[in-house]
Amino acid sequence: MVLVGLVVLGWRHELRSGAGLPPAPTIAAQKPEPRALTAEEESYAAALWEIHREVTPSAVAMSFAGIIHETGSHDKNQLERKISPVATFFLGAEKRVRALSAPPTLSQVHNQYVEAMVLYRKASDDMLAYAKDGERQHLIDAHDMSITASQAILRAGEVLWPGQYKPH
Amino acid sequence: MTRLGRKLQLFAAFLAASAAFAVLGGAVAQAQAPVCSVWLIESSRFMKVPFGAFMPDRAFVPGSTNPNNNIPTVDLPVNIGVIKCGSDLILYDTGWKQQEYLKMTGSEHWAPIGEQLKVLGFNAADVSKVVIGHAHWDHAGQLSDLPNAVLYVQKQELAGIEWALNYPEKHIRAINSDPGGCNRTPACGYMPLTMEEVYGKVLKGKAVVVDGELQIAPGVVIHPAYRAHTAGSQLLEVTTSIGKLVFGSDAFSSYEAIRDWMVANVQQTDSVQQFLAYERCYKITGGYENCIAAHEPLTYTDKYPITKNSWVALNGGRMAEIALAPGEKSRKP
Repeated sequence: MVLVGLVVLGWRHELRSGAGLPPAPTIAAQKPEPRALTAEEESYAAALWEIHREVTPSAVAMSFAGIIHETGSHDKNQLERKISPVATFFLGAEKRVRALSAPPTLSQVHNQYVEAMVLYRKASDDMLAYAKDGERQHLIDAHDMSITASQAILRAGEVLWPGQYKPH
Repeated sequence: MTRLGRKLQLFAAFLAASAAFAVLGGAVAQAQAPVCSVWLIESSRFMKVPFGAFMPDRAFVPGSTNPNNNIPTVDLPVNIGVIKCGSDLILYDTGWKQQEYLKMTGSEHWAPIGEQLKVLGFNAADVSKVVIGHAHWDHAGQLSDLPNAVLYVQKQELAGIEWALNYPEKHIRAINSDPGGCNRTPACGYMPLTMEEVYGKVLKGKAVVVDGELQIAPGVVIHPAYRAHTAGSQLLEVTTSIGKLVFGSDAFSSYEAIRDWMVANVQQTDSVQQFLAYERCYKITGGYENCIAAHEPLTYTDKYPITKNSWVALNGGRMAEIALAPGEKSRKP
């Protein structure tokens, strides 16, 4: 826990002129600190997080089902078995996100997130369609939609949870 | 001399001649072994990271005069290897993509991989192979900006992620760090966009799932380093005019850690396996100087000698020229 605290505390935004480092220009390095959320916004972010923390592994699971299908058995039934619960999850996630009450200041973020859930759901539906008819265009379309959805949740996350990804 | 004695004498002479041919042949092969040119580029830099979060044995102790414990924070480069071997242009790791919406608080000096390659006189479309040391978001990004590159990813890396994703407990399968999501848990750091880019390569038939060791070009060999940072971490051995180099991504997060035998950047890491990865570099290169680390704070300085031939390039990010093959021109301005 102390270590986690150290990591969080360490994410400061100022430049450090490290001894022995080649000098680095400072102009491009200065970026505005993200605005602190209000209590109402924090409440929305906390409610959405409970969904978001399951959205990310589900999105990755969708990619993985595709990877395993392409590099492994090419078994469409297996792909369907892996994608069906993901499709069900995104259908439910879309409803849960829509049901959240977003403060006016976060309406754009909220709409982005809803749109992402729609895209993930459509992507999973397209992968299921491929499992039925074997038409590869479904996989390509699904992939494109997933990319757009993932960019959208990163956009939302940058506002709501700017520290959600640490250096790894 | 008996007949048996003469036969033994002839056999001994045959063995001696064979050994001589073998030595001669080996020397010739070594002399003719293709060598690669190597550069290092800083994709971005994570600023002000508490030293102890990166290397527990280097944690800051206020008032300490111990050089291991008197540095509070460090700036960590995110290094990408650029390797030119004959007609092959190979990247080892690909950094991450700082979209306009993804600023990553605490990260500076990012520049697009395509622009950085142009500084070295290369085009992104010329990259023929990409070896990712592991698939975390800050090492396996920008894949869609390398349209012709074939991706090499270790089978165990994919298996490790899939295992975590299917684990019923939500913390074990968590992808995001904050708030209260994951810290060093099994799926932590494999963000959706990154994995979709990996899937994109697979979907286009431009991915090789590597199972263990694999030579991908003359003098360029992938070595598995299972659990040295993640489930399927992989090292890359490269033959150059200054000897063999080994790139380690986050299995070799820190040059000082390899030198001093300390763990660094523990994520999905088995510390024993990380030390064995260090040992692999010592064995392949004959020491620690040619082990190329992903996040060493001393990179691009005299204190990490193999990277000292450096300069400041785009947006304050740095580059280093590590080795040139005979006839290869310097890219250093």
